[in-house]
Amino acid sequence: MKSYNSIAAIFFLLIGIFFSLYARTVEIGALTEPGPGFLPLWAGLTLVAMSIILFLKSYARKAGTFRASFFPQPDSWKRVLAVFLSLIVYNLLLTPLGFTITTFLFLIFLVKFIFPQTWKRSLVVGVLGSIFARLLFINFLETQLPRGLLGF
Amino acid sequence: MDILSHMALGAQVILQPINLLFCFLGVLMGTLVGVLPGLGPTAAIALLLPNTFHVPPVTAIIMLAGIYYGAMYGGSTTSILVNIPGEAASVITCLDGYQMALKGRAGPALGIAAFGSFIAGTISIIGLMLVAPPLAKFALAFGPPEYFSLMLLGIIILIYLASGSILKALMMFVFGLLISTIGMDTISGTQRLTFGLLELCDGVGLIPAIMGLFGVAEVIANVEQAIRTDVVTSKVKNLLPNLRDWKDSFWPIIRGSVLGFFIGILPGPAPVISSFSSYAIEKKLSKHPEKFGTGVIEGVAGPESANNAATGGAFIPLFTLGIPVNSVIAILLGAFMIHGIQPGPMIITKHADLFWGTVMSMYLGNAMLLILNLPLIGLWVQVLKVPYPILFPLILLFCLVGVYSLNYSLVEIALMIGFGVFGYLARKFQFEMAPLVLAIVIGPMMENNLRLSLVISQGDPMIFITHPISAAFIFVMLALLISPLVPWIGKKRKRLQEKVEGEEV
Repeated sequence: MKSYNSIAAIFFLLIGIFFSLYARTVEIGALTEPGPGFLPLWAGLTLVAMSIILFLKSYARKAGTFRASFFPQPDSWKRVLAVFLSLIVYNLLLTPLGFTITTFLFLIFLVKFIFPQTWKRSLVVGVLGSIFARLLFINFLETQLPRGLLGF
Repeated sequence: MDILSHMALGAQVILQPINLLFCFLGVLMGTLVGVLPGLGPTAAIALLLPNTFHVPPVTAIIMLAGIYYGAMYGGSTTSILVNIPGEAASVITCLDGYQMALKGRAGPALGIAAFGSFIAGTISIIGLMLVAPPLAKFALAFGPPEYFSLMLLGIIILIYLASGSILKALMMFVFGLLISTIGMDTISGTQRLTFGLLELCDGVGLIPAIMGLFGVAEVIANVEQAIRTDVVTSKVKNLLPNLRDWKDSFWPIIRGSVLGFFIGILPGPAPVISSFSSYAIEKKLSKHPEKFGTGVIEGVAGPESANNAATGGAFIPLFTLGIPVNSVIAILLGAFMIHGIQPGPMIITKHADLFWGTVMSMYLGNAMLLILNLPLIGLWVQVLKVPYPILFPLILLFCLVGVYSLNYSLVEIALMIGFGVFGYLARKFQFEMAPLVLAIVIGPMMENNLRLSLVISQGDPMIFITHPISAAFIFVMLALLISPLVPWIGKKRKRLQEKVEGEEV
């Protein structure tokens, strides 16, 4: 946990610095009449202080403590990354392609490639999933999802 | 006979067809997510929240509450049949429940879990009815300093009970406070950190945050390696426990219910803690403690009752103080605000139909759950057989659509993905989600109460100590923060931590 904690400490340190610097651009006010920057400033500074303590603590601990590897399996990172990317791509394609097609592609990709299933299974999930989702969300719940170029 | 007329009012609310329908949908969904490993009630409630915008608030709350206590029912099913707890609160049920299933007594185990939950649910509702109104009256005396101290105390109790590292949990809390300051400042109207994005003017949305932290992050953590599910039982029969089972389980159920209810009022992962405590107590009181873990029915009845009673208890701070004790209640609080209901001690008097309607819906919901869980157990076993490789893309799809349908905004989807990345990494780095979520929800309230207190006292921070109620809260808080440094208490807390470790609060 040693290096994990120090990485986290640096991350939160930067967040804290960012907010306390930002708070100065809006009115901080005084104790008698705190302004919009009051809480961001003090909470930001608190976070900075806490991060420093965490950072120091992570080094004060004896070296050689048990450290679990980040991923449980050597190829875990591929699946994790692929799922994140597929979410981002979904977000990008939703407007141009429309809900039904994007959902179809999204489902097929995830079923086929994350824990590889047969093509037949992937197609069945993709087709049924996207049609069912379309009927549920657009026709039944009347959610205004983008229809895309092809009109569905 | 005040209570009777109130109950009549509540009955009137719940007997409307739309409320009956949503109550049923809620407990159905709850059982479903309870059964499915890898999708908890927190994500499920966040997922369905957007779909409740077009119904009246009481209907929405009835359904969302149904998901919460329904999930506790469903969680026991997977623990007993597959040895995989569907919910963290059912972890302990695996010990004796699964053993009973191996001995061919899955039926009575499932049966007593359902009956125990029903009895516990009822007891905790009675408690809720009796405790909430007087507590709300007491809370009417609270001003900004009392509220600020109370919220701080609530967070500290949560962190104390649920977190491995108090420092790291506090950091998540402060980070959440900072996130909650994004958006328009309600006192001065200043825009803070919105980057000109319309979506951020109202602050970072609770739904994208929760969906990211609990929905997306959980799925991502689960795709690291394949979840294996082997459903052992070929056929579940004889659901009704026999007379001996009842005799063995009666007192564990009663004790578990009372214990669960009171633990439920405290902030923290109450269903988890209460089920562990109940198991420990039953083992201690038992005439044959050595048999625990080999499939004794007390080991199922007590904890299952306790975790259900805890869900009822958790509603007390919500209805009386407007303060959430865990992530699920935090979302319900968010739902109150979205529906324009000001949370706080006035809810019970001002929105009597909401409070009593929800309470009465829990009676009915518990009865529905009994029906859903006993005869339909075969159906839930089938659900368990849906392989995760097919399930998880659908969960993600629900998250995407759920967030998009809030404001039809792609920015909020991006926010959700961002929170998903953060939540995934934070879990890996062993940071807790609950303090972050709670801070995002109550952050604006805390800020306003803090600033108002300072205005009232003309800048004197001693106001939090000179007001007696507030001073009491601060005192308890400091005691909690210092106590882990005392070796004896610190060790006890550590042991509790090891049990609750890694659980979703």
